[in-house]
Amino acid sequence: MSLGAFGRLSAVFAPAIVVAACALPASDARFSERLPDRDTFPEVAQVLVRHCGTLDCHGTRARNLRLYGNEGLRWAATDQPLSPPCTTADEIEQDYISVVGLEPEVMSEVVTVDGADPERLTLVRKALELEHHKGGAALHAGDDADRCLRSWLAMQTDQAACLRALPATKCFAQP
Amino acid sequence: MSQLFRVAAMLSSVLWFAACDPVQDDAIAALGGEASGVRPGPLHRPGQPCLLCHDGAFGDPGEFSVAGTVFADRIDKQPARGATVTLKASDGTSRSFQTNAAGNFYVTPQSWQPAYPLQVSVVFQAQTVSMTSNIGRDGACASCHVDPAGPDSPGHVYATPEDAGVAP
Repeated sequence: MSLGAFGRLSAVFAPAIVVAACALPASDARFSERLPDRDTFPEVAQVLVRHCGTLDCHGTRARNLRLYGNEGLRWAATDQPLSPPCTTADEIEQDYISVVGLEPEVMSEVVTVDGADPERLTLVRKALELEHHKGGAALHAGDDADRCLRSWLAMQTDQAACLRALPATKCFAQP
Repeated sequence: MSQLFRVAAMLSSVLWFAACDPVQDDAIAALGGEASGVRPGPLHRPGQPCLLCHDGAFGDPGEFSVAGTVFADRIDKQPARGATVTLKASDGTSRSFQTNAAGNFYVTPQSWQPAYPLQVSVVFQAQTVSMTSNIGRDGACASCHVDPAGPDSPGHVYATPEDAGVAP
């Protein structure tokens, strides 16, 4: 390549590089997440505990989606499954952190568009077995548990559906 | 002939590596040896996670789809001999199995491969105890029902209502 050609190429690419560099976020920029409602999460948490949180599934410390609850893994070192009988506020808080921490950017996108296309979330795809899930389909499209989860992601938690998805012995701490 | 030996050695190495799972090997080693005077068979290792070994892997003992042990009570941990364990699968089918003299019961995949999640109840001496939560995917009771009870285990499976009532 002649020096003249090299100079022309440099002249073309240099501005592009400068523009691209300027388009990068500032080093102190932070992602502003918009996460689902914490206040109405207890019902959602209990649905997840019931459907996903058994000790042989997500009620174990080895999982990314780690669920604490009355029927499975307990948060307090002195507690046991069903003792105390109800899911505690601490367990619900841990469940919230676990659920929103899986894919915070994607979850924020879903919440921002009022819960549209929640299947973007691995949480939803796995639960419905839209992608391989060793535990099979924990929820079924359109059932109360599914509506509970989707409505929470849409920031309009259908608490009636959540409660219908739980057994009569539902027992969890309210905020 | 020597070529045949080389091929056999290579194949056996491949099989050995394919079957090797150090995590599972450690878990099995942690179970310890057989109890004195009890030979490997239906009465051995009560309360241990049966499917660790009975997993259908090459060279392992016969595969179970569901298996476990029911103890009569939490105090002296006597086996619940003759208890009826009823498993209800998510597809609506259900089967019942009797525990043997060690409190053990087991189901082979040839006889039944249940669809998870499962619901379980135990009838022993005319008393029925139902497990509160479902079994999500693991057919070995003792994968979760480990002694002592703690944050991640309700303890062994007990057939007496006041004890088994805490089983998840």
